[in-house]
Amino acid sequence: MPPAIIEVNGLVKKYGDRVAVRGVTFTILEGDIFGLLGPNGAGKTTTIGILATLLTLDEGRVTISGYDLVREANRVKQVIGFVPQELALYPTISAQDNLAFFGRIYGLRGAALKKRIDEVLVLVGLGDRAGDAVQTFSGGMKRRLNIAAGLIHQPRVLFLDEPTVGVDPQSRNFIFEHIERLKAEGMTIIYTTHYMEEAERLCNRVAIMDEGCILALDTPQGLVSLLGGGVIYIGLSSEAIRALLPSIQALPGVGAASIQGSRLKIETKDARPTLLKLIELCNTRNTPVLSLEILEPNLESVFLHLTGKRLRN
Amino acid sequence: MLNQILAIAWKDLKIFFKDRGGMVIIFLQPMMFIIVMSYALSGLFSSGTDRPIQILAVNQDQGTQAAAIIQKLDEMKAFTVETTWEGEAVTRPAAERLIVEGKRRLALVFQSDFSEVLEQNPAAQERRTTKVLLIADPATSSQFVEPILGTLQGLLQKTTYTAMMPKGIDYLFEQLGPAVSDAEREKFKTRAEEAISGGLGADRMAVVIVEQTTPAGMRVEKNPNTFQQNVPGYTIYGIFWIVSLLAGSVMLEKREGTFRRLLVAPMSRAAMLAGKVVPYYIINLLQLILMLGVSSLLFKMSLGYSLAALVAVSLAAAATATGLGVLVASLARTEAQVGGLAVLLLLTLSALGGCFVPRFIMPEWLQTIGLVTPHAWALDAYQDLLVRGYGLIKVLPKVGALAAFAMVFFAIGVWRFRFE
Repeated sequence: MPPAIIEVNGLVKKYGDRVAVRGVTFTILEGDIFGLLGPNGAGKTTTIGILATLLTLDEGRVTISGYDLVREANRVKQVIGFVPQELALYPTISAQDNLAFFGRIYGLRGAALKKRIDEVLVLVGLGDRAGDAVQTFSGGMKRRLNIAAGLIHQPRVLFLDEPTVGVDPQSRNFIFEHIERLKAEGMTIIYTTHYMEEAERLCNRVAIMDEGCILALDTPQGLVSLLGGGVIYIGLSSEAIRALLPSIQALPGVGAASIQGSRLKIETKDARPTLLKLIELCNTRNTPVLSLEILEPNLESVFLHLTGKRLRN
Repeated sequence: MLNQILAIAWKDLKIFFKDRGGMVIIFLQPMMFIIVMSYALSGLFSSGTDRPIQILAVNQDQGTQAAAIIQKLDEMKAFTVETTWEGEAVTRPAAERLIVEGKRRLALVFQSDFSEVLEQNPAAQERRTTKVLLIADPATSSQFVEPILGTLQGLLQKTTYTAMMPKGIDYLFEQLGPAVSDAEREKFKTRAEEAISGGLGADRMAVVIVEQTTPAGMRVEKNPNTFQQNVPGYTIYGIFWIVSLLAGSVMLEKREGTFRRLLVAPMSRAAMLAGKVVPYYIINLLQLILMLGVSSLLFKMSLGYSLAALVAVSLAAAATATGLGVLVASLARTEAQVGGLAVLLLLTLSALGGCFVPRFIMPEWLQTIGLVTPHAWALDAYQDLLVRGYGLIKVLPKVGALAAFAMVFFAIGVWRFRFE
């Protein structure tokens, strides 16, 4: 098992009376792509802001690459790269000039800087647009350059804060390919997103956050397995719910069934055949179905299952 | 740290020199002000020979006295007297029409009895009077008209004495009786006429000589020209536009998130701020070099006698302008606020500081208020060098005042500065 590169223990962040992060604890291993999932306001941007030294923590301890985040912030800054959600670039100067500027800030000079600029531009597929002003780029190209600026100093840990917001599908795929290439090179990446499919595709491990807490942390497969073969929510009258509950629990493929308000929540080993049997049962008992919802076994469903909320609300 | 400051400064200079709008505001705008306003106001500062005042003359006089006055007035360097317009003698209606049409601003009308009245016998029982009318466009300021009236009155007085004297002397001798011979009378009359009309006796009578000079300590070899008067004012007005650019650039960094990105980098906030200030300070100095250099090379404007003093004043003035930029950047929360605050501050401070209108013509209370602006101190310091011919020692107190302004602006600005 690779060594831990980020260790977070009991992290707390408050804004006045509001607690944005409530005692979060997790570990990220070297070479991981670690996904922080959650809706807006879940605390993931605050968490990543603290880890990237943008915000101060109120309680807890964080070490990155063995350096204490509070006491050795400057050493931490040397090993991390940050790609903010917004396009943090200078639009009127060229891609090359942007990268040269960020490179100089990290102490790169002369031939080494030029070589690194060329490498990074090729990596993000902008080698042929090096001399063009950023304002002439498409949205996807700007996103790629935004990532390149975070990579210029070859960080060991890269924070990517919602890097695909507002990006067309083609550029999104391009970005995914870059991230997979970086992963293959051994870079540790912390990736925040509210797109579940991105987390499923890219991340080794995923933490699901809501209201400042981590609700679950596992591999995407481990999290999806929380749902078994899927969950069915069926809305029936209250009399029908009570009458049908024992029969439903006895249906083949049903793991568990419980009453949730005016609906029955049915955890299945395989949702589709179970659904057919469930409809058949309702027809036989002449019971009208008032509503029906199926949660396929994916991260989106896991989030709904854990929080009762949809991610993109 | 120095490399990081230089990296930010170099990047900001690159961005600035690609921003045509910014270049226009910083370099072209004040330069155009200097050129246009200097030429427009050249009449206020240059001698009358450069651009004489044009006066229409309507001569209805039946005699020769009005024509003599018109000729004397026309011989003065400050005036050009026009008695004809498009080949025709100017009449009163024509003169009034030309003034209404804005083609001329002043006209003199001599009445038909002008000579007759001037040459009347002083012994006559009934003394007659006549008028010379000065028709002026009401939009013409009294500061412009009063000197003309004074000149005219002086000429009229002299002409009246000259015209009336022969008959007046005859009258006096008649009162004395036959004791004085005719030859004596004629001799006396001739000498008196020559003296009054500026002839033989004038030199002997000229015991009071008026000469223009400057206070001790001012090295002024010749009077300042229009550029020396206007260039400092509009240059100072121009350098303070850096406030808008600097504060706007800070807001842009905040909006675009580039400050956030830099905050993650291993650099101090002091280095970040220094990196933002240095390029605009350099741009300020470039502005000063350009404004003063162009004015000196193209318009032959004197830059005074002390290069060290000029450098000291320029460094202090630029520091004050840049400091105000940091202050505005720290107070404003949006780019719109920067725009509004910068324009309000710059125009108000420039006006109060005397960049547009000299402070000495303002009411005293407004002159006192003007002293709370760095513009007034900077302007005074430049005028000390360019117009009054002072050296470094004399302008040091003003340089100190500018440095104090700069320190206060920087101190408050840095204290209030937020990177996010």
